[in-house]
Amino acid sequence: MAANFWASTQRRHWLFSKEKLAEIRDNLKERDKLAHSQFPLPDSRLLNIYFNQQLTKLGKRMSTRQQALATAQVYVKRFYTKVELRYTNPYLVLTTAFYLACKMEECPQHIRFVVNDAKLLWPGTSPYPITSVSSVRLFLVPSAHTYALDFITSDVSKLGECEFSLISEMNSQMIVHHPYRTLSELQTELNLTSDEVALAWSVINDHYLTDLPLLYPPHVIAVMAILTAVVFKPSQTNFHGTGPPSLAGALREGGITNALAAIGEKNSPGPPPRVQRVINWLAESEVDIKAVIECTQELVSLYEVWEQYSEKHCKELIGRMVKSKNLDK
Amino acid sequence: MSLTNPSSTGGPLSATTTSSIRPAASASVTQNLNLKRSAQAASDDLVDSKRSPGGGYTSKVHVREKYHIIGFISSGTYGRVYKAVGRNGQKGEFAIKKFKPDKEGELIQYTGLSQSAIREMALCSELSHANVVELVEIILEDKCIFMVFEYTEHDLLQIIHHHTQPQRHAIPASMVRSILFQLLNGLLYLHSNWVLHRDLKPANILVTSNGAIRIGDLGLARLFYKPLNSLFSGDKVVVTIWYRAPELLLGSRHYTPAVDLWAVGCIFAELLSLRPIFKGEEAKMDSKKTVPFQRNQMMKIIEILGVPRKENWPGLVSMPEYPQLQSLALSRGPSHFNKPSNLDGWYQSCLKNGGYSSTSTAGTPGADGFDLLSQLLEYDPTKRITAREALEHPYFKNGGQMSANCFEGYEGKYPHRRVTSDDNDIRTGSIPGTKRSGLPDDSVVGRVSKRLKE
Repeated sequence: MAANFWASTQRRHWLFSKEKLAEIRDNLKERDKLAHSQFPLPDSRLLNIYFNQQLTKLGKRMSTRQQALATAQVYVKRFYTKVELRYTNPYLVLTTAFYLACKMEECPQHIRFVVNDAKLLWPGTSPYPITSVSSVRLFLVPSAHTYALDFITSDVSKLGECEFSLISEMNSQMIVHHPYRTLSELQTELNLTSDEVALAWSVINDHYLTDLPLLYPPHVIAVMAILTAVVFKPSQTNFHGTGPPSLAGALREGGITNALAAIGEKNSPGPPPRVQRVINWLAESEVDIKAVIECTQELVSLYEVWEQYSEKHCKELIGRMVKSKNLDK
Repeated sequence: MSLTNPSSTGGPLSATTTSSIRPAASASVTQNLNLKRSAQAASDDLVDSKRSPGGGYTSKVHVREKYHIIGFISSGTYGRVYKAVGRNGQKGEFAIKKFKPDKEGELIQYTGLSQSAIREMALCSELSHANVVELVEIILEDKCIFMVFEYTEHDLLQIIHHHTQPQRHAIPASMVRSILFQLLNGLLYLHSNWVLHRDLKPANILVTSNGAIRIGDLGLARLFYKPLNSLFSGDKVVVTIWYRAPELLLGSRHYTPAVDLWAVGCIFAELLSLRPIFKGEEAKMDSKKTVPFQRNQMMKIIEILGVPRKENWPGLVSMPEYPQLQSLALSRGPSHFNKPSNLDGWYQSCLKNGGYSSTSTAGTPGADGFDLLSQLLEYDPTKRITAREALEHPYFKNGGQMSANCFEGYEGKYPHRRVTSDDNDIRTGSIPGTKRSGLPDDSVVGRVSKRLKE
């Protein structure tokens, strides 16, 4: 069912246990150990950060909404549970996921514009200034030989073909439920401030960098994001966008775990009232609190590993892999 | 249970299936893995070896291996629908909807799938209800999409048509009631899942040989839960004009599930009278691609329901085409303007012409039927009855048992769906010499036509 998460294909086919997900990946690796040893890639969370940044750039150029980017990221995750990353051109997969997600989220983009923008975004070298004004874009169509190093060729049929793979690997299950909806539904119920909503929103954005979308239902993610936001008290801090280090700090100090531990002992001198209100709501709801805690831990480890992130490193490793295996041809 | 691509039963762990479907595998890796696939079906290897260097998409499932095409059912802008039976032990009859790829010149290329194909594939994969057409699987092969549905022997258009031949004879009241209940039941399911159908008409209401109603053709359907773009901005013209709700005719930008209920009202009326109730002529889009005011269609509605008035429909004045409506009403003179609804008159003469009466064998939809009809054909979309309310209406509550088989108690027989055998070639319309597996397919076609001649 399209609006009912419980009957959705997402719940029935695209949520895994941690063990199952690890097993799937081990099997992919087992099948081609050689490729894995020849082309080492960064930690999957670091790769996800890289993919996310690349998708965000593409989304900005084409002025797309966040939800389409979120859907695209879920498509990429689903696809790579079925197909070994080292057999693919990740740039083509990203572009295709973006193109398909835009159609699914009702903000379609013309395939030629997507291909052209992706091509300009991921060049070997680009002699053209980057612009996203669509009227100008038409005059920027480069000749094929100038861009021999590009990760995306100007041939739209490559993207069209990849779309077939993507849809087929996902068994045409393309409707994705996101935590954003639960967040906006709970906004009034929990009387969240706009700062809290903004912070929760960016925590949700960040969860796409982890395996969480394949592990937990969207409402659990939303509750985790809301808790993080109220515990972090954005009203008292100067908060700009996703700030991994400071947020990681707040999470590591165990604010949420401590707060959640207070459930059941309502008389103890617990967390501040704003947090208490969310805790009370949570205690009465049927949300899986253990799952919420596991989600926060996953996020903490993301923020920790984020400190090692280097865009250049990811770009080089992927570039080397794609070029030496001719995956871009 | 997955309704799509059972190929996944092999799972991500099966090397043979997954290896053939990498989006951009290098030639060397492809060959490597092909060598490992010792006992893979011969035909698969045939296709694989023909694959362009550098790899590409190849389907794991082959439509012609799984289904035996019997013939052609219908075509539309999207492509064609074929009737098929299962092969290799798969039982049953199927309708396979093939989306044709856009042609660019002679060669068929991947050009990106249309948004409506994407919507239909995604929605049909999620939805599952006794009154919504059942998707069996989707096969993506040879640059085409094949959506495999259960086969339905009838549809409402064909049933209505049958009742006009050789002379008009009304559809029994009990059958109309069962059809309408099942239709509303399917619609309630769609609406509670935030799906608008947007193209309900008799041809899209399918009926199985067991008299079960299945809402079909979700090609225009879409989700209406907080869409990123307003529902207006996508496709401006929606719903076959005779079934188009007045708010759409008046250019509403915020339409709602109520548009589907207007269409149900039109279908209800058509089941009783065997003619479209508002049979207007469509004004075509001009060269600037602006959507014209559908004056003639609006007039057909006004002739039966009277002019919509802001006293009864407060939102009317904010409709983009309100000035057009006023000039239309004025042009007909003040007497026309003040004429009240004549739906009751239309209904009574419809019952009379159809021979519906409480004493006849056909039975009658009666006063309850009229009340429901008038609530479905309510001008103001905010007052129009919802699918949930309609199912609770006395028309269904009174008057005894209702069968899930709309044919129950009906003596007559409806003709089978017309299937023509001259086009049972489900292949990509590729030019001779370029098709990938011509031989096995041709032999299938040969066998079918022989069998049909016998």
